[in-house]
Amino acid sequence: MIWQQLESLAGSYPLAMRGLGMTVVLSLIALVFGTLIGFGLGILRIGGSRVLSTVIGAWVDLIRGTPFLVQIFLIFFILPELGIKLDAFTAGIIALTNLNACFICEIVVAGIQSVPKGQVEAALASGLSKWQRMRQVVLPQAMRVVLPPLVGQYVLLIKDSSVVSAIGLTDLTRVGWLVVQRVPNGLLVFFLVGVGYFVVCYPLILLARRLEKRMSAAHGEVQL
Amino acid sequence: MARCSCELPSGRFSVVIEFQGVNKWFGSLHVLNDITLSVQPREVVVVCGPSGSGKSTLIRCINGLEQIQKGDLVVDEKRVGDPATNMTLLRTEIGFVFQSFNLYPHKTALENITLAPIHVRKTPRAQAEKDGRELLAKVGLGDKFNAYPSQLSGGQQQRVAIARCLAMRPKIMLFDEPTSALDPEMISEVLDVMVAVAEEGMTMMVVTHEMGFARRVAQRVVFMDQGSIVESGAPEEFFSNPKTERSKAFLGKILRH
Repeated sequence: MIWQQLESLAGSYPLAMRGLGMTVVLSLIALVFGTLIGFGLGILRIGGSRVLSTVIGAWVDLIRGTPFLVQIFLIFFILPELGIKLDAFTAGIIALTNLNACFICEIVVAGIQSVPKGQVEAALASGLSKWQRMRQVVLPQAMRVVLPPLVGQYVLLIKDSSVVSAIGLTDLTRVGWLVVQRVPNGLLVFFLVGVGYFVVCYPLILLARRLEKRMSAAHGEVQL
Repeated sequence: MARCSCELPSGRFSVVIEFQGVNKWFGSLHVLNDITLSVQPREVVVVCGPSGSGKSTLIRCINGLEQIQKGDLVVDEKRVGDPATNMTLLRTEIGFVFQSFNLYPHKTALENITLAPIHVRKTPRAQAEKDGRELLAKVGLGDKFNAYPSQLSGGQQQRVAIARCLAMRPKIMLFDEPTSALDPEMISEVLDVMVAVAEEGMTMMVVTHEMGFARRVAQRVVFMDQGSIVESGAPEEFFSNPKTERSKAFLGKILRH
């Protein structure tokens, strides 16, 4: 019986692969840009001017304190009102990147703050400039603390990407919604959707665990 | 802060570090109280005093790890805290050895030593590494260049930290209780290195209670209590004939053991 139902879903396989592809592409782009921007924000939050630091802090709090669905609607429906034309894909990328950058900013800030004050003083005393201190002394040590939750954040990112289906992007979740209208067994459809997400996320979960073990063993040197 | 450095009397250029009526507060705590002190080139000054007397703060002001709030502090002819003074540049002339070593744990002994020469002095890597190995040999750790700090004992780490400062060829070396975090059997290996540095003519200010070290190399001992310099004099004089009640009480406590 299960077999029959699976057979009835076989016709949706290409659509599902497209959906999975969209989920992966969205997540990957938001991962790369979110990481770059998140590190930038985190470093500026600590090392930037007071005004900049306050603005970043307020923005991060705002984004962390509002539902992602609301953010994505605001970006997709409000920005065009202001004259900024956006297709759903771009809106999805912007929303996901922004969300990730904010969470990664907090992870990076926590990592930087975990580096003992004496390390910064030693670097300061030897005449390293602000950015040399960050690059050579603080960040490499902060990475120990940053990496495990960073990879964890990537897992959350992939799952959060399902929200983009709300603005009509055909990602894995939306494929689920589309298929469920054509076949009798909705439970099985969403079970398979869940499997799709898990297949993408599980390697990352394993990586995060591996990193956590590595970090406690290393001399503060980060080796992947 | 108001005066500009051009008004410094030219005859004072033989002074490397000069405190003039320096004051500092941590909140309501008056941690440096009207400090006036000058250090000559090649002079070794030992600063001692009970804990909380402001001696660490005193030397941390010299390279700007702490800011002074009143008075003048001139180091290597540059006014500390003056916006016109490039503190980053000034710090390259001042080595600072910390009580807790503060070696970079993610870098090897050699990388710890070469980091600032390569990035600040722009010394070519090969040259910096050659110099670094020589310095490690000089502090008795010639074979440890590839060791991470976590693989070294406290005494070894502190010797690497001293080598790290020397690699910048500083004009002044500051030591903030360099042996206080060490097991007793490691103290002398660090002090021996410090004596060698002093004997090469380095200008040094050393916060320490190692009176043997003070006797061997210091020209002057400065005794601080409650943020003030209470007494200052040649080591023999200070140890055998302290002039104030407070220094007598302090010496009584540390020399009894």
